[in-house]
Amino acid sequence: EEEDEEFYNSKELPDYACKYCGIHEPNCVVMCNLCKKWFCNGRGNTSGSHIINHLVRAKHKEVTLHKDGPLGETVLECYSCGVRNVFVLGFIPAKADSVVVLLCRQPCAAQNSLKDMNWEQEQWKPLIADRCFLTWLVKIPSEQEQLRARQITAQQINKLEELWKDNVDATFQDLEKPGVDEEPQQVLLRYEDGYQYQNIFGPLVKLEADYDKRLKESQTQENIDVRWDVGLNKKTIAYFTLAKTDGDMKLMHGDELRLRYVGEMHKPWAGVGHVIKVPDNYGEDIGIELKNSPGAPTQCSSNFVVDFIWKSTSFDRMQLALRKFAVDESSVSAYIYHRLLGHEVEEVLMRCKLPKHFSAPNLPDLNRSQVYAVKHALQRPLSLIQGPPGTGKTVTSATIVYQLVKQNGGPVLVCAPSNTAVDQLTEKIHRTNLKVVRLCAKSREAIDSPVSFLALHNQIRKMEIHNELQKLQQLKDETGELSSVDEKRYRVLKKSSEKELLEAADVICCTCVGAGDPRLTRLKFHSILIDESMQATEPECMVPVVLGVNQLILVGDHCQLGPVVMCKKAARAGLSQSLFERLVVLGIRPFRLEVQYRMHPELSRFPSNFFYEGSLQNGVCADERRLTKVEFPWPMPDRPMFFHVTQGQEEIAGSGTSYLNRTEAANVEKLATRFLRGGVKPEQIGVITPYEGQRAYLVQHMQYQGSLHSKLYQEIEIASVDAFQGREKDIIIMSCVRSNEHQGIGFLNDPRRLNVALTRAKYGIIIVGNPKVLSKQPLWNHLLTFYKEQKVLVEGPLTNLKESMIQFAKPKKLIN
Amino acid sequence: GVASEIEAIPSGPRKVECKEDDEFLNALDKMVSENIQERMRETVKASHIDISVPVLKSNKKNYDQLQETGDKDQNTMGFVLMVRKGNKQQYKPFEADINSELAQNLRDQELAQREE
Ligand SMILES: [Zn+2]
Ligand SMILES: [Zn+2]
Ligand SMILES: [Zn+2]
Repeated sequence: EEEDEEFYNSKELPDYACKYCGIHEPNCVVMCNLCKKWFCNGRGNTSGSHIINHLVRAKHKEVTLHKDGPLGETVLECYSCGVRNVFVLGFIPAKADSVVVLLCRQPCAAQNSLKDMNWEQEQWKPLIADRCFLTWLVKIPSEQEQLRARQITAQQINKLEELWKDNVDATFQDLEKPGVDEEPQQVLLRYEDGYQYQNIFGPLVKLEADYDKRLKESQTQENIDVRWDVGLNKKTIAYFTLAKTDGDMKLMHGDELRLRYVGEMHKPWAGVGHVIKVPDNYGEDIGIELKNSPGAPTQCSSNFVVDFIWKSTSFDRMQLALRKFAVDESSVSAYIYHRLLGHEVEEVLMRCKLPKHFSAPNLPDLNRSQVYAVKHALQRPLSLIQGPPGTGKTVTSATIVYQLVKQNGGPVLVCAPSNTAVDQLTEKIHRTNLKVVRLCAKSREAIDSPVSFLALHNQIRKMEIHNELQKLQQLKDETGELSSVDEKRYRVLKKSSEKELLEAADVICCTCVGAGDPRLTRLKFHSILIDESMQATEPECMVPVVLGVNQLILVGDHCQLGPVVMCKKAARAGLSQSLFERLVVLGIRPFRLEVQYRMHPELSRFPSNFFYEGSLQNGVCADERRLTKVEFPWPMPDRPMFFHVTQGQEEIAGSGTSYLNRTEAANVEKLATRFLRGGVKPEQIGVITPYEGQRAYLVQHMQYQGSLHSKLYQEIEIASVDAFQGREKDIIIMSCVRSNEHQGIGFLNDPRRLNVALTRAKYGIIIVGNPKVLSKQPLWNHLLTFYKEQKVLVEGPLTNLKESMIQFAKPKKLIN
Repeated sequence: GVASEIEAIPSGPRKVECKEDDEFLNALDKMVSENIQERMRETVKASHIDISVPVLKSNKKNYDQLQETGDKDQNTMGFVLMVRKGNKQQYKPFEADINSELAQNLRDQELAQREE
């Protein structure tokens, strides 16, 4: 099924695109006969049209009109003597007639006999007027088209002409190409045009892709033991454990691995499968479901090798989107184009009929700031909605989508960077009774989710009209394979049913990268909403945007975690800044949701003051966030929070690249046990730790050292900050791990990460760490000072917590 | 106030003055005059090709007729460019902007003729 992923829709500029600016309207371009390059008849920001600029600078003189232009393919030449020098050519009209002839000024237009032949000799005019070709020969591209094209300057034209003297195939890109070892160009705040945008982001996407490829390909592991199983769908599953992978390497559901047999009990074999289980509380083993089961050496259990398969799909889609944004004027509306590039454009309101009621069926009623957010989004071609933690971002987004469909009809495209976020929003939108289709990557079709029944591949199975497709599907499911004739028929039927479903949908939901799916490329989306948009890189965000958007809503919170960029070079150059963030810096004010319904008011105080200028209001009161019937020794009973001073040693974990801290782990276990004893259910508790080494250690430690049944600890979710973004827990325990006086504190010094960590808990939060080390970091200094002022910086055993007398330097003023 | 999207976006590229552009302007003037001078110096032989105005019934429309064809784009006028392919004449119809010198000239001519 790989061929579906091919880029048959690849968008390249045609040969006849202007070599300067990229304009490719056949009406507007001319070919230079000498160098065979095409140029347009627009001036851009210079005083002559691009073709005249070229002819003058290159000292070329002859041209041919485009076959689809006003006159068809025509070499401009003198009718009489045949000279082709356009600088001496002109035309003469017939006397009172609509016939015209091209003649050179000397000698042909000066012949005395012309008058006798009914030509208006004195009306001779040159073909070049006002430094452009006459418009009846070649049209001039419209002002808007010229604005949408590459904004090449006279200096760049000069340089390009110089390059062509050495290399006739040089392109505009060669003007700015950094050397092999040079640092990539930094991202900008504003861009001249889509070409410059592509030229800066393209290489960064490439860097990240190359890094990802190298990382995946270096992860091959040998001497793997395999345990075989068969899934409910009768597919073969292989389970195995990998030695700890590099800290950077995150295995995800749907990733592909190749399993190879290299022993002597069976002939050599290799099979590809996608990950259906990753290391978690239930075990460190990984499970893959094989694509093709037959032939797998299921009688063998050792001598296997595991390779990671790198896929270029997501990177290809980003590159394609960048290219489309540059060359295809229908990819986004003119207004959005200029706004995204940061051009001087004022904010406008769209004519639209606002609904009487802003809520959507079966969704909670909206509060005031949520209603304004919906209104704000409906009235603008481009809007940013900022949703701090717990402010009902998903419900607001779902309501916006509902109102958009009611207003303009469908389909509205709804995206988010992660599958989890897409699923959450899909579920809410589905509740409003709109027709929703969830589009999944083919490799993820087997992964179950709460909205599986909305997935395109599952909806197709339920379509009643396609009896034949269902029969073929059944046959395929049962036998695993179809005859080539049947397979062909199956694909044709499947394609047409997919098209039918997608076209009938009110809303299509997928990940940002998923929006580059070939099944969507033929559709146009006028309205697009991207949730959690601050977690996507800019090129990732562009994948849905270039599908024809003229109303774009970015939802997110630039005060929470940004996109994950693994290549340091690309991150340093600015790839880790999201589009949402850049637009905020450009001065587009995000509309902020202001009432939080998640945290105990005491828990929201620090985040509100520190990250949101004190603007967060509490939609819940302390009483609604009191754990009744749970007895727990909070040092200040009205404040369900404390910092548990722990001076343990950090050490390097078994993997060699991560850290763990045994003392902190022991304290985390004691706290968790106390909560469980007090009547809290394990699924109410979340443990946040920034290091993979500590996560694995905590899982082990709690299950073996915990005084309660190990099953209980299994249900407690232990994960990184990143894994908790977008989610909540009743109780959060955070283990900071790093305790080294001489080194930094790892990735806990990112304010956005700290914000996310502090805002996951509804009822209570406990931080376990070493304040001496942490306080050296200005941000943590503020937090620790706050905890101290609140009298919740404590030490000692749980049964006897005492205020810590530890002193640290006064916090410096932070510029946030 | 409520501005429309079209009003809000820039109306077209703005000319950027720079020395490279000035150099281009001079080079163009120089190129035109030099090329014409060159043609004057060369003795290009007068050809014996017939370039008399052809009689094209199908295309010969006067200004009024052009105005009458209502379904056509009102802002253009139909013309024919006479070109030579080898020894054969070819006629390529095209539309010129009603405000172009070409169209203006034809209109003036016809008005003058009618007044005669
Ligand atoms: Zn040329
Ligand atoms: Zn051009
Ligand atoms: Zn001539």
